[in-house]
Amino acid sequence: MLASLLQVFSTGLGLAGYYALVAVGFALIFATLRIFHVAHGTVFIISGYTFFGLHRLLGFDVFLSAAAGVASAALAGLAIDKIVYGPVLRRGGGMFGLFIASLGAALIVEAGFLAWTKGVVSVARTGMLDIFVVGDVALRGLDFGIFALVAAAFGALYLWLHRTNTGLEVRGLTDNADLAAVVGVDVRRTRNSIFLVASALAGLAGVLTAYDTGLVPSSGFKTLFIGVVAVILGGVRNILLGTIVGAACLGLLTAFAGFFFPEWITFTIFLIMIVLIIVRPQGILG
Amino acid sequence: MEHLLYLGTLIAVWVIVALAANLVIGYTGMMAMGQAAYLGVGAYVTATLNILLGVNFYFALLLGAVAGALAAAITLLPLRRIGGFYFALATLGVNFVFFDIFHNLAPRVEGSEGLYGLQLPGLFASSGPRFAATLAIGVLCVLLCQRVVASPLGRALRATRDRPDALAALGKDPRRYQMVVWTFAGALTGLAGGLYAATLFYIDPTLFTLDASILILVYIGVGGLASTAGSVLGVILLIAFNESLRFIGLPSQFVGPLQQAMYGLLLIGLMIFRRRGLMGEYDFRE
Repeated sequence: MLASLLQVFSTGLGLAGYYALVAVGFALIFATLRIFHVAHGTVFIISGYTFFGLHRLLGFDVFLSAAAGVASAALAGLAIDKIVYGPVLRRGGGMFGLFIASLGAALIVEAGFLAWTKGVVSVARTGMLDIFVVGDVALRGLDFGIFALVAAAFGALYLWLHRTNTGLEVRGLTDNADLAAVVGVDVRRTRNSIFLVASALAGLAGVLTAYDTGLVPSSGFKTLFIGVVAVILGGVRNILLGTIVGAACLGLLTAFAGFFFPEWITFTIFLIMIVLIIVRPQGILG
Repeated sequence: MEHLLYLGTLIAVWVIVALAANLVIGYTGMMAMGQAAYLGVGAYVTATLNILLGVNFYFALLLGAVAGALAAAITLLPLRRIGGFYFALATLGVNFVFFDIFHNLAPRVEGSEGLYGLQLPGLFASSGPRFAATLAIGVLCVLLCQRVVASPLGRALRATRDRPDALAALGKDPRRYQMVVWTFAGALTGLAGGLYAATLFYIDPTLFTLDASILILVYIGVGGLASTAGSVLGVILLIAFNESLRFIGLPSQFVGPLQQAMYGLLLIGLMIFRRRGLMGEYDFRE
């Protein structure tokens, strides 16, 4: 029993890695630009499918394909901002307008992948995953890889936010966007950086998911909503630590819920979200 | 002819759903993103009572509406404590939670994912009379909604949306009006759910997912918020348009994705060019 619980724990941490990568980008965009970026999930599948197409279908090198996947995500995120959000904002759309337009963008891309894959799961890897056995516990090597990558990504994000000028401007936007503009922050350029960085992080999660369990076109929406719950759980204001805590809670919860009552995973996640929104709308660390 | 009657019946059903959603979103300004949950409650209660317990269809239909109202009222109780964007998110969560409930707890006919075998009375047994009866109910609902929005209650609803403080200053509780309209919309949506089951003969949980909630949003978004005529027009136009996609000779596997992509484009186009839709008196603010 203990062995299987430990196994579930390690799976949960692996899941938490995906959630954290998607959630932190979403939180970055939401906290700085007040855009409820549903299409962030779309960016996630664009990267996953680019990776799948290049690596599995065309036989390119894993790392090259992964890099291309992440780059495609970064560009897709930027493109959605320019093509969809820009015009909506210019014509006086508000938060709900952006939200609905974002939903529209997500629907269009998802429909494209649906037509292409016919909804069949696309797994990018060709071989089996390595399994380590320590005592009674069988652990997946990939979970450690995910953990290391996520830690590295968050480390880099921390340095970017706290050690560079752009990072300073991003944090300025989080606190007070108008004031940041007044003191000379080039909001448009900072906005581009935010979309590029946030989308690249979601892209990394997309590549890893495509490699690990595979993607279906609806994975985008699903992952996005889990990321949103992680953000709400951790607290929107606390971008880095909040999303890590929120994603870790959700990852472990999903893994344990999946182990004990697999049919009720979505139910558990969203019930917790609703309860938390009511009890503590600012999140655990907010 | 058979198919045209079926489409007419479907239009009448969705008009009721759109009317209810428009009362809530358009007239009262509550961002309901999970109306499909109450549609599912109505459909499942009607179908279960009629198929498994042998309850008379009309009585089951009535109980479906009552169940829709109850489900709406009960879910709104906790949600009333939050406002703005978090409210919209929480209603979306309600949709996910109800989907899991339908998926795991709702009865199903042996060997299928859903329920079929409604014992329909004479008026609903064949397609011609069924169309006439559903249309009659739909028209009654339209007239009822027109009466409601033209009445003092309708004025109070619009005040709840635009000036809740002013309403409160007059000694009227905006939250009471929210509860009233939400419950009423739940009853209408539940009624539509029962009729939906009678139209399709078969229901399963996948009919009541986020997709259905988005569809409702598209219908009233195109028709126009806070417009009864808009709700009717939006549904007729979109269902007719959707049908016309069948005739362009596309392979059937692409029809679904094409429809989805069109909805996405419509949502983005509306948010950029005409946020009030065709006949709207209000738009997606904030």
